[in-house]
Amino acid sequence: MPNLKDLKTRIASVKSTRKITSAMKMVAASKLRRAQELAESSRFYSESLSFILSSLVGGSKDSSGLPELLVGRQNPKVALLIINSSDRGLCGGFNSSLFRSAVIWIKEKKSKGIEIKLMPIGKKASAFYKRSDQEILEKFEDLNTNDRQLEVSEQVKNKIIELFESNAIDEVSILYNKFISAIAQEPTYKSLIPLEQSDSKENSDEENTSSFEFEPDKNELLEYLIPRNFLTQVYGSILESSAAEHAARMTSMDNATRNAGDMIDGLTMKYNRTRQAVITKELIEIISGAEAV
Amino acid sequence: MIELKVVSPKKVIFQKEIEMAVLPGTEGDFAAMQDHSPFISSLRPGQMAIMSNNKTEESFFVSGGLVMLKGKVCEVLVDQIESLKDLNKDNYKQTKTYQELEGNETALKTFEQVVNSPSYK
Repeated sequence: MPNLKDLKTRIASVKSTRKITSAMKMVAASKLRRAQELAESSRFYSESLSFILSSLVGGSKDSSGLPELLVGRQNPKVALLIINSSDRGLCGGFNSSLFRSAVIWIKEKKSKGIEIKLMPIGKKASAFYKRSDQEILEKFEDLNTNDRQLEVSEQVKNKIIELFESNAIDEVSILYNKFISAIAQEPTYKSLIPLEQSDSKENSDEENTSSFEFEPDKNELLEYLIPRNFLTQVYGSILESSAAEHAARMTSMDNATRNAGDMIDGLTMKYNRTRQAVITKELIEIISGAEAV
Repeated sequence: MIELKVVSPKKVIFQKEIEMAVLPGTEGDFAAMQDHSPFISSLRPGQMAIMSNNKTEESFFVSGGLVMLKGKVCEVLVDQIESLKDLNKDNYKQTKTYQELEGNETALKTFEQVVNSPSYK
């Protein structure tokens, strides 16, 4: 028979776990709202920027005159993958689905003869790849404030340009969890070098895209725009990933709270049964003792 | 009237209808007004002024960025921006913009000049 006292302590401990998980859920929900707002408000800048970029590039259809930072190199040998994970755990399958997708991607690139180098963002990714044989070029951790997120994006941008210009890498992609809804996230790739043409086709169909006057000339503008574009792309994906992280944590903590509730119910039932059994047993002992006399 | 929309990587800073804005383009200042031809330019560090009736209503320091003029919309993508309303040569060093521009000598120098210049104020 289970010990009554043990059952009682277990119930108490599950109850306090439930308190923690439901508090975490609440915190994640409010952080999610904030992260969504940030992602929303940063979208204007990146949308305008990619519009300007596409109207700059859209004018000249052939990619020969464009800088390598935009169109990439022929026959790439080394690709850089930026993996955008979370700093903390307890967010369900958020990180593991990301890493699973990265493994497949890396294998695919390797089969084409492209070497992969990594740049993990977030503690979880650097911990995951620490013991692997992948080469880590640089890692970024503790992205807990918005200022820090922007600062890291800036550093990533500088690093990308530095590495590309020293011919250490030929391609850059970024992997992050796309925020689809509060209950759905999806590992997503975005190619920075060569630049993925966003599906803003409806913009380029408008006649006025090519009618812009540019000052200074196109190439000088591109020189300014391309690094800016890296920054906003990286920053955007960091924000998106942080919204997705909070959403994932919210749902997984919600599940945990519910599981804890079920567990408490079960344990309470067991506790009551045991208590009743103890009383019955004592009664039987008393009665049979009285009969014996 | 033209709609001026000032945006930083983080957020939309403000958006309003104005008569004219003077912007520090890389190749010289220019004024953004209604029905300006479609135009894209980068910005140098300098002063952005919102004017009406030939008088400055508000002025800002911008550290650089891009402008896109299209029809009735003027979009300004700035790196850093600071309103010059309450700035003088004693307190401008405390602003966030000043601290973020650390190391960018030309921008800081322009910031100082802009803060000290009596014009546009």
